[in-house]
Amino acid sequence: MSIFQGINTTGSALTAQRLRMDVISSNMANADSTRGKLVDGEWEPYKRKSVVLQAQEESTFASHLNAAKNAGNGVKVSKIVEDETPFELVYDPDNADANEDGYVQMPNVDPLREMVDLMSASRSYEANITVLNASKSMLMKTLEIGK
Amino acid sequence: MASINFPAVSQVLPTTNTNTTAASTAASGQKSFAAFLKDSLNEVNKAQNESDNLTTKLAKGENVDLSQVMIASQKANITMQATIEIRNKAVEAYQEMMRMTV
Amino acid sequence: MKLFSDTISTLENAINYSNIKQKVIAQNIANVDTPNYKAKDVTFKEALNNAIEAKKTDARHLDFAGNNQTGNSTIVTKSSAVYNNSGNSVDVDKEMTELATNQIYYNALIDRISGKFTSLENVIKGGR
Repeated sequence: MSIFQGINTTGSALTAQRLRMDVISSNMANADSTRGKLVDGEWEPYKRKSVVLQAQEESTFASHLNAAKNAGNGVKVSKIVEDETPFELVYDPDNADANEDGYVQMPNVDPLREMVDLMSASRSYEANITVLNASKSMLMKTLEIGK
Repeated sequence: MASINFPAVSQVLPTTNTNTTAASTAASGQKSFAAFLKDSLNEVNKAQNESDNLTTKLAKGENVDLSQVMIASQKANITMQATIEIRNKAVEAYQEMMRMTV
Repeated sequence: MKLFSDTISTLENAINYSNIKQKVIAQNIANVDTPNYKAKDVTFKEALNNAIEAKKTDARHLDFAGNNQTGNSTIVTKSSAVYNNSGNSVDVDKEMTELATNQIYYNALIDRISGKFTSLENVIKGGR
């Protein structure tokens, strides 16, 4: 923990939110990709991805003794998981990927939900920028003690 | 308002009386002044060391707050100035004494 | 010889508290989307004058809770029981207002302690 702990915490949050936004844009870009992955010789549609956020707290023994004084180290993306919701079936017999009944499996991406997620990530990102500016101005003010 | 308790902060701790006993004779006055100066030098040393420690920690990026470093360095600075002024007064007094024609 | 008045130690404690509060606010806002994260808060106890020293019967015994550089403030979990459906209890609007308050509080403290130091210097220099 140094004088920049607050700034490092916020930095980790900015990274995590940006990664979340990248995953969302990947989902949006692939909302219509019927060929995501080759599984057993068959094309499987794109599966929606999402991030799992995890708070970073100190976990060494010495820091547990000191737990009352330790604010924590921010947040990180612990993994990117695929959504196992079943694929939507759309009737489109002229499509190259249609099965015998004329149905095509479409990715399980819901654009509306992705947009809401994107707005949430965007707001969180902005809030963290405000915190960063506040921390920085406090540090600059501290340098002026006695001047 | 917010979760910061201003009333709690303003409860100032009861001030402790740190007065030095007044000198009853000139000789004992002189003695306590020497002790006074010596104490002052010890304090300067302590303050400077503290300030140096914190500055080293700051430079190494260790567990320290910037405000602590700045405050410690200010305190060391002021303690040093106080001691210098005390020394100046002592020297002045001595020179005044030496100028006295017998 | 006591150069620095009690006001200055009070200010120091308050500045330490404000520093920790800033870190806690940063942590809370960083974790605004983390599931099952509970918001943290800082308490400020002015009542303790002296540091509680651990009574050591052996030099290797550990000190209490690190050094006393952080004064009398402790980090606790906020007791508000409002969680959203992912188990997260951070109220981002409250955190942002606390951020603004803390910033002004901190600036005021720094101003005051700086003023006290400057006036001490003036006194010592005798107005020169």
